[in-house]
Amino acid sequence: MASKRKATQGAVKASRMSRISTPGSVTPRRIESDYSHGPSGLPDQRNTIIAQNVQKLDISSFPYMLSPGIIDSASEYFQPGQKRDLTALKLKPDHHNRPLWIDGWGKLTLENFHPLAPRVQDFLTTIAEPTSRPAFLHEYRLTTHSLYAAVSVGLNPKDIIRTLKLFLKNEMPPNVIAYITHCGKSYGKVKIVLKSNKYFVETADPAVLQMLLKDPEIGPCRVQNAEEITTSVSTMAGLAIAGTKDAADMRVAERVEDQVERNSRVEEVYYAALGEDDDEDDVQDALHAFQIEDEKVGTVAQRCLALLYPALQEYDFRNDYINANLEIDLRPATQIRPYQEQGLSKMFGNGRAKSGIIVLPCGAGKTLVGVTAACTIKKGVVVLATSNMSAIQWKNEFVKWSSINPDNIAIFSSDCKSLFTGNSGIIITTYSMATNSRERAHESANMIKFLQSREWGLMLLDEVHVVPAEMFRSVIGTIKSHAKLGLTATLLREDDKIEDLNFLIGPKLYEANWMELSQQGHIATVQCAEVWCPMSTEFYEEYMKANARNRSLFCVMNPSKFQACQYLINYHENRGDKIIVFSDSVYALEAYARKLMRPYLYGGTGNAERQEILDLFRNSQHCNTLFLSKIGDTSLDLPEATCLIQISSQYGSRRQEAQRLGRILRAKRRSEEGFNAFFYSLVSKDTVEMVFSSRRQAFLADQGYAFKVITHFKNIEKTPDLAFATPEARHELLQKVIAELESKSWKQEEERESAALLADGNLFYGPDGKPSRTAVSGAGDRSAKKIVKRKSGPHSDFFRSLRRENERRKKLA
Amino acid sequence: MSTSSLRSFEYLESLPGTVFKRLYRQPSTALAIFRRMLPHLAKSFVMALLYHSHPLPVADLEQWVRPDSRRERDQALSLLERLHILSIVLNPNSPRAYALTNPFKQSLRLALTGGGDHQSFGVPCDTPDKHSVDVDFLDDFARAQWEGILHYMVGSTGIGMQGGEEVSQGVKKLLELGGLVEIKGRRVEITQAGFSFLLQEINAQVWTLLIFYLENAESVSDMRRFRTLDPFRSQANISVCQLNMDPVDVLSFLFMLGSLELGQDYSLTTLTPTQVKMLDDLRDFGIVYQRKSSSRRFYPTRLATTLTSDAGALRTVSAGFDNALRAGGDSKGFIVIETNYRIYAYTSSPLQIAVLALFSRLSTRYPNMVAGRISRESIRRAIQTGITSDQIISYLGTHAHPQMRKNVPVLPPTVVDQIRLWQIEGERMKATGGFLFKDFVTAEEYDNLANYADEVGVLVWRSDKRRMFFVTRHEQIAAYLRNRPKKLT
Repeated sequence: MASKRKATQGAVKASRMSRISTPGSVTPRRIESDYSHGPSGLPDQRNTIIAQNVQKLDISSFPYMLSPGIIDSASEYFQPGQKRDLTALKLKPDHHNRPLWIDGWGKLTLENFHPLAPRVQDFLTTIAEPTSRPAFLHEYRLTTHSLYAAVSVGLNPKDIIRTLKLFLKNEMPPNVIAYITHCGKSYGKVKIVLKSNKYFVETADPAVLQMLLKDPEIGPCRVQNAEEITTSVSTMAGLAIAGTKDAADMRVAERVEDQVERNSRVEEVYYAALGEDDDEDDVQDALHAFQIEDEKVGTVAQRCLALLYPALQEYDFRNDYINANLEIDLRPATQIRPYQEQGLSKMFGNGRAKSGIIVLPCGAGKTLVGVTAACTIKKGVVVLATSNMSAIQWKNEFVKWSSINPDNIAIFSSDCKSLFTGNSGIIITTYSMATNSRERAHESANMIKFLQSREWGLMLLDEVHVVPAEMFRSVIGTIKSHAKLGLTATLLREDDKIEDLNFLIGPKLYEANWMELSQQGHIATVQCAEVWCPMSTEFYEEYMKANARNRSLFCVMNPSKFQACQYLINYHENRGDKIIVFSDSVYALEAYARKLMRPYLYGGTGNAERQEILDLFRNSQHCNTLFLSKIGDTSLDLPEATCLIQISSQYGSRRQEAQRLGRILRAKRRSEEGFNAFFYSLVSKDTVEMVFSSRRQAFLADQGYAFKVITHFKNIEKTPDLAFATPEARHELLQKVIAELESKSWKQEEERESAALLADGNLFYGPDGKPSRTAVSGAGDRSAKKIVKRKSGPHSDFFRSLRRENERRKKLA
Repeated sequence: MSTSSLRSFEYLESLPGTVFKRLYRQPSTALAIFRRMLPHLAKSFVMALLYHSHPLPVADLEQWVRPDSRRERDQALSLLERLHILSIVLNPNSPRAYALTNPFKQSLRLALTGGGDHQSFGVPCDTPDKHSVDVDFLDDFARAQWEGILHYMVGSTGIGMQGGEEVSQGVKKLLELGGLVEIKGRRVEITQAGFSFLLQEINAQVWTLLIFYLENAESVSDMRRFRTLDPFRSQANISVCQLNMDPVDVLSFLFMLGSLELGQDYSLTTLTPTQVKMLDDLRDFGIVYQRKSSSRRFYPTRLATTLTSDAGALRTVSAGFDNALRAGGDSKGFIVIETNYRIYAYTSSPLQIAVLALFSRLSTRYPNMVAGRISRESIRRAIQTGITSDQIISYLGTHAHPQMRKNVPVLPPTVVDQIRLWQIEGERMKATGGFLFKDFVTAEEYDNLANYADEVGVLVWRSDKRRMFFVTRHEQIAAYLRNRPKKLT
C-alpha cells in the first residue's frame, strides 16, 4: 500500500506539470505518470494518435453514400449539405406497425404516439442521446458516447442493430450499421478492474484477451506467476441499491422487482426479436482476466485506447477489503423515485460501480441520487460542489437522507474547513478549492494533502456541465477515486468539452425526460411565457445610440417592462403565489426592488441580511416577492417559490434559463391538483433581448416546454399605483438611466456582485461576471454551435490536434 | 357554401340578364345551376314553382317558411332573383306574385323529364374508340395535368419529373392574368391569392381557374397560336387578335361537361366552333382528354364530371380525387407541428413538399415523411411573397395529423401566436396618404412653401437637403401659391 501511494503522488506532480488531456475512461493519472518521464516531444505525438483513434470512432468517418431513391420535383429541396435525402432507405411493407425512422447520420425519429413507443423509448435512452422531446415526434441521436454508454451497460452491437431493425420503419443505412459494429467492437470489451486491491484486465472475449496478452506493450505488464482467471459474470442479484434494500419498506422492494421485471421485459423485446439460442450469450458470460502490475495500469489503458479498445473502469466495491467501510445507509423513511432508481440501476447494473453521468432536471432530486450512490458503495466519498453555498446544502442533504454521523462529514471551502474523525468519511469541497493552484494557507494545504493522499470509493461531481475541462482534469487527476458519478441537469452536447467529460468521467448513464417527470408530478408543471415589452421612442433612441454593453441597461429599465413586472407581481401575489424576480443587472435589481418596495438579494448583500431576507420570504405571509441577482440562479433552495419573473438575463445562455426554471420545478405545492408554476421572461421589443430570448429557450423547447408570447396585458393600466404611467415619469427615468451610465457607479455594484460570486466559488460565472466559458451549451443545432465556437476560448491541446487532423483530412478528401 | 360556388356566383351575377336568357336555353345549364348553385331552400322554392301554372302570391310563399328563418328565406329569394330564375309578376289586379322565368322553367322541365333535341347533355360517340381509355387512365391524366399546374405555381420546375406535366404557355399566362403568380425575371413567384388558391379544395380550384378562363378566354386561346413563337412577342399580339369567344358558349359547355359521364367518350359534332376551340385549353387543365387535337371525340375527366355535382356528392368525389392527388398520403391530415417549431409531414407528394417549403425550412426526407422546422426567417420569407400568417395557420390546421386533432386546440397555441407575431413584426409601417412637393427651383421658394405648410398644419415630412416635403392636403397650399403676390414676373 505504501508503494502505491508513492506512485500516485508522482502522478499528482505529473498531472500538474502537463496539461495533456487524457481521453479514455481510464484513470488518467497513471497514464501521465508513465509519460512524465518520457521525452518532451512525446505528448504531442501521443495526442495525434489519440486524435486519430477517436476520429475513427466518430460517425463522420462513416459517411452516408446512398443517392436518393426517389427523384422528383421535390428532390431539389433536399440537396446534399445540411439537407438529407433518405429516400433510398426503403420502407418495410408493414412500416405502420413500427414507430421509428433512422437517417444516415445516426438520427432517430420516434413516433411517440405509437403503441410501441414506451418500450422503444427505454431502448433509445440506453443507446442514443435525446435531442428533442416535445409531444408527438421525438428525436434521438446515436453518438460515439451514447453507444459507449450502451455497450458499457452490457448491450452488444449485434443486439443494438437487431433491435433497431425491429423498430425501424425504413431500412437501416449500411454506414450506420458499420458504425455501430465498429464502436461495439471497440467499446466495453476491455475493463480494468480494481479487485482486492489488485488490478485486473478483464474481457469477455477470449480472442481479445489473447491479442492483449500477445501485445508487445501489454504483455510484459502482466503479473508473472498469476494465473489467468475465468469467472462467471457477476450479476446484480447479490446487490441491492441502497434505499431499495430496506426491508422495512416493502413497497420499495416491490418497486425494485418491478424495475427488474421491466428491464427484463425490455430486454425480452429486443432479444425476442433475435430468435437465437442463448449459446453465444453463455459463452460471453464467462469473463477472462489477468492481473497487471499496479504501476503499469496507465500503460495498459493507453495502449488499449491505441488499439481501439478503450478500457472501462469499474469498481468492484463489494470485494474491496482494503479501503475502510463507511457507516452510511439511507434513512428508513427515505424513498427514492422510480427514475432515480432507473438511473442508479444503470450505474450498478452488473454489481459493480460504473463511472458515468446521470442527467436529471433541476429539482428532480439529483442530490438524493448522489446520496444513494454513496450509501450503496459505503466507502469514502468526495463531493465536488459548485459553490460554498451548495457545499453546505450537500452536507444538509446527506444528514437529511442518510444515517451518517454528521461528524463524519467534512467541508472544505473558502469559508469552512473541517476534517472528519474516523478512518472513512465524506468530504465536501468546491471545484475551485480543490483546484486552486495559488499559494495556499497552511490549513488549506493540509486539506488538499488530505484529499489527495486518500483513495476514495466514490467521487460525486455536481453540475458537471459548468466545470471547465482543465479544472476537471486537474480534479480527477489529483483526487483518487474508484468510481465517479457526474450529476447535471443540462448536459451539453456537441461541444468539445463534453467529449472531455465523457472520457474523463464516463458515459452518460441516464437522462430523464422532463415532460414525463412533470406529468408524474415529480417536478412542477410550468407555464412558460415570454412577455414582449414595447420600448418607447425616447428609450429606443437612446438604446440605439448606446454601445452594446450599455444597451442592456436600457432594455431592462424600459418603463413598460417595469410596468409588466409590476402587473405580474400584483397579479400573482393576489393569487397567493410566491414570486422570485431575477435580474442580472444589479442596478436594475435595486431600482426595481426599491420602487416596488420588495426585498432584494445580490452578491453585495451581507450574510446576516441574506439569511434574514430568505427566512422572511420562506415563512412570512407578508413577503411574497423576492428580487434576486445571478447569485440566486443555482444554489438557493426556495421551494416556496411558485412564480418566476426574469427581467434581465445573460445573453443567449440556455443553461441559465434551464437553471432558473429549476428554481420553481421543486415547488412545494407541485403535487396539488391542477397546480401550475409560472415562468415569465420579460423582453424589450426590437432589442437584442428578443434574439437572445429565443436562443435561451431552445433547450427547454426541445424538452417539450412551450413558450407563450404575451404582447399585452389586459387592464394593465388599472394596476394600482402603476409606475411610470405619465410621460414625465418616464422621461425622468430615462434621464436617470443616462446619468447612471455616465457616472458608472453601477459598475461598482456589478464588481461587488462578481466578487461575491467569486468568493462563493461559484463556477457558473467567470471572474468578469459573464458566464464561464463552458456555459453556452449546444443542443445540436447549428446556430448553437456557432455561438460555442465564437465564445469558447482555445481548446485543449488534444482537441486542437483532433481538429487539425480533421481539417487535414478534409483537404485531402 | 363552398368557395367555388361563391366564386362562380360572383362571375355569374355580373352577367347581364340577356346572357342568362341565352344560357338557360340549354337544359344542361339550367340543371347545373339548379344543382350546383342553389341552397336547399332555394331548390325547394324552384321545385314547388316548377309545375305551378300560375304565379304564386308573395304572401303565400312567405307562409311556407317559419318566421324565425326569415333571413334564410330572404337570402334564397334574393339569390334566385339575381340569377334570373325567379321574377316578381306585377299585375295591377292581383297581389305581387312569384314565377319562374321562362327559358329556365322550360329547360329545367326538359332536363328532368327528358325529350327535345337540344343535345345539351352531350352526344356519346356511336362508334367504338380504337384507342379507348379507361377511368384510371383519365384520373392519371387529370392528376398529372392539374398537379403540373400547381407545381408550376409553387415554383418547382417540374421538367422531366414524374407527377408533373410541362405547363402550357396558355395556362401560365392564365395564372399570371389571374394574379395567382408573378413572373419576376425568370422566376415564378406565388402570390397571396395564389397561396389561397392552393389551400382550396380541388373543385374550387378548378372553378377559380375556369372563371379566369372565362374572363380571359381570348388571350389564353390566343397564346396557343403563338406557343411555338417567342412568348414575349405573342403577348404583344393579344390585343390585336380578338377572338370572338362567346361567354354563353363557354359557360354552356362547362355546365354541359358537368353532366357528362366519366369514362364515356363524346362526339364533337354538336359542339359550337368556340367549344371545339376550348377543348384544347380544357385539355391543358386536365378537364377533358383528347388523344390529339384533330380527334373527333373527347373524354371528360373526373375534374369535368364533378364540376356541377351538388355539394354533398362533390365533397366525397373531390375527397376521392384529393386522395389520388396525394398519391398515397393520408387524406385526413399529415402534418405534425411541435411546440419547438419542428414540423413533420407524412407525405411523399412533391407538390405537398413544395407547398411546405414555401413557409418552412425542410431538412430531411424519408420515403414517407419529410422533416424540417419553421422559423422566423422561413415565415418572413413566406410573408414577403404575400402569403399571410393566417393562411399558413389554416393550412397547418386543415392538414393536421390525426394525432394532433386529439388536442384542443389542434395546433399548439404558442406556435399559432408566434406565426402571427412574426407577421405583425413586419407590419409596422404606417401609411399616410398625401402629396409630395419637389423640384423647387430656389431654396427660398422651397422654404417659403414648406414653412407655410407647417404653419397650416399639413406638413408631414420635409427634407431641406433634397428640397422636398410631404403634406396631407394640398388645397391650402395651392390657394397660397395662387394668391401670393406675384413678385417680378
